[in-house]
Amino acid sequence: MAGCSDCLVRLSHFHLGTIAPLQSEFPFEWIYIRSIIEVSLYVSLVAVALSTLLSIPVALVLGFTEFRGKGFLRSVITTGMGFPSVVVGLSVLFLVSNQGPLGPLDLIFTTEAMILSQLVLATPVIMGVSLAAVSSVDQQVRDAAFAMGGTRLDVALVTIKEARYGLVTAVLAGFGRAISEIGSVLIVGGNIVGSDGESYTRTLTTAIRVEARNGQFDTAFLLGAILVVLVLLVNALVIRLGGTNGGYR
Amino acid sequence: MTMDDPATATKDASSTRPTDAPPSTTPTLRAVDIQHGYGSETVLESVSLSIDAGEVVAIIGPSGVGKTTLLRLLALFEQPRDGTLEYDGTDVWEITTQQRLAFRRRIGMVFQDASLFDASVRRNAEYGLHVRQSWIDRLRREFADLVGLRDGTGEAIEALDVVGLSDELDRHASSLSGGEAQRVAFARALAFDPDVLLLDEPTSDLDPRNTAVIEDAVREASERGIGVAIATHDMNQARRVADRVAVLLGDGIIEVGETKTMFEDPEDPRTRKFIDGELIY
Repeated sequence: MAGCSDCLVRLSHFHLGTIAPLQSEFPFEWIYIRSIIEVSLYVSLVAVALSTLLSIPVALVLGFTEFRGKGFLRSVITTGMGFPSVVVGLSVLFLVSNQGPLGPLDLIFTTEAMILSQLVLATPVIMGVSLAAVSSVDQQVRDAAFAMGGTRLDVALVTIKEARYGLVTAVLAGFGRAISEIGSVLIVGGNIVGSDGESYTRTLTTAIRVEARNGQFDTAFLLGAILVVLVLLVNALVIRLGGTNGGYR
Repeated sequence: MTMDDPATATKDASSTRPTDAPPSTTPTLRAVDIQHGYGSETVLESVSLSIDAGEVVAIIGPSGVGKTTLLRLLALFEQPRDGTLEYDGTDVWEITTQQRLAFRRRIGMVFQDASLFDASVRRNAEYGLHVRQSWIDRLRREFADLVGLRDGTGEAIEALDVVGLSDELDRHASSLSGGEAQRVAFARALAFDPDVLLLDEPTSDLDPRNTAVIEDAVREASERGIGVAIATHDMNQARRVADRVAVLLGDGIIEVGETKTMFEDPEDPRTRKFIDGELIY
């Protein structure tokens, strides 16, 4: 933030047994905090948006089409929901490394690589919960949409509307998984901060890890509080947009 | 509304046709030797049936005999295994999907279960009109709804008026009773002014009052020139609302005829037994 390089954040924290406010100097400039928040939100929101665009159509197809291997595919998605993030990070690191197929794109230690790893992590969550949501829509409601002259697209839209609460839950679960992720973004992003204090690939979670390792618990807790507030804000916004005020009067 | 004595009242077929309408020469919807099934099971075997503009055809038969399957075929949900389905003389399975959509949009259907959308009465009743609009108009409508700048569409309100629910536009579907929900489902199918209305046991779960409202709405649709096919196993209902009755048994449609004739002097002895509740199947 321009003109704010001298900004200090005053913190209050607790000593054991007493409640004594302590003025402590925040060790970083505001640009550091702001850039960390920006990187975290950018990476997580883009990954969740891409994942949602991919997951909901797949969930619709999987929910209402019969084909060989459907059960296997569902199992893969369910398994992916609990896939270890470190393994995902390792796999994405290989993909974007010089030896990997995406090596020529020079994505290693970039936010794009972090988006890719979060996409891999969030997609099974969003797809799995979306699949459960669309599968719960009554077949007769879909038949009614068709019988009223709806096209396949109209029927899909009705299904999405009917399953909207479940789909919102899916997106939020995916966002929660993405923004709270540490292992894979640390591996593929590299947790990089520039000499000017601006974050390139450091996120709130990786910053918390660094501060905690350095014994800066007050800073780590502050970053944790920012993370929680961000999650709450995004949840509130998504629920507001996708919930009862989403045009279903 | 007056309810006729079910035991004696039989609909006078000529009374429901528009007096100035010329006699129909081509049936609106005609199924010829339809055969259908699922997997190795055959559900319908050589079924032929026609529905003219402005007439009410009751399809009667025991549960599980294929009435719903027949109506779904007539509504173009799926292609029959064999036979032809003609709409105004056009074989609807010999044309493109887009052309078929145009025919499909001239057919309305009401299911045994109301199957309303999770939305207001108004939005449910407007759905058929909504899908017929351009995407620009649909988006405009969504926006108007979002900012609360829109009242109900005239046709939808008119259709809701037929079933006595035009004052309930803003009620949510989940707050309706079963009978009210079915009436909204009927209005939803009527609002876009179809040529043919297919009713799959629409009153099987309803009380007498709501049944009477639906039956009145069927008569109203018929008076507007809409051809109606109603699947029912309520013989009295068939007698009250239908111009013609088709009896569907395991072999297909065994007999079709004027309602009065079918109830008083059917040709096939199985029809007599079925109507009297003596047929073992």
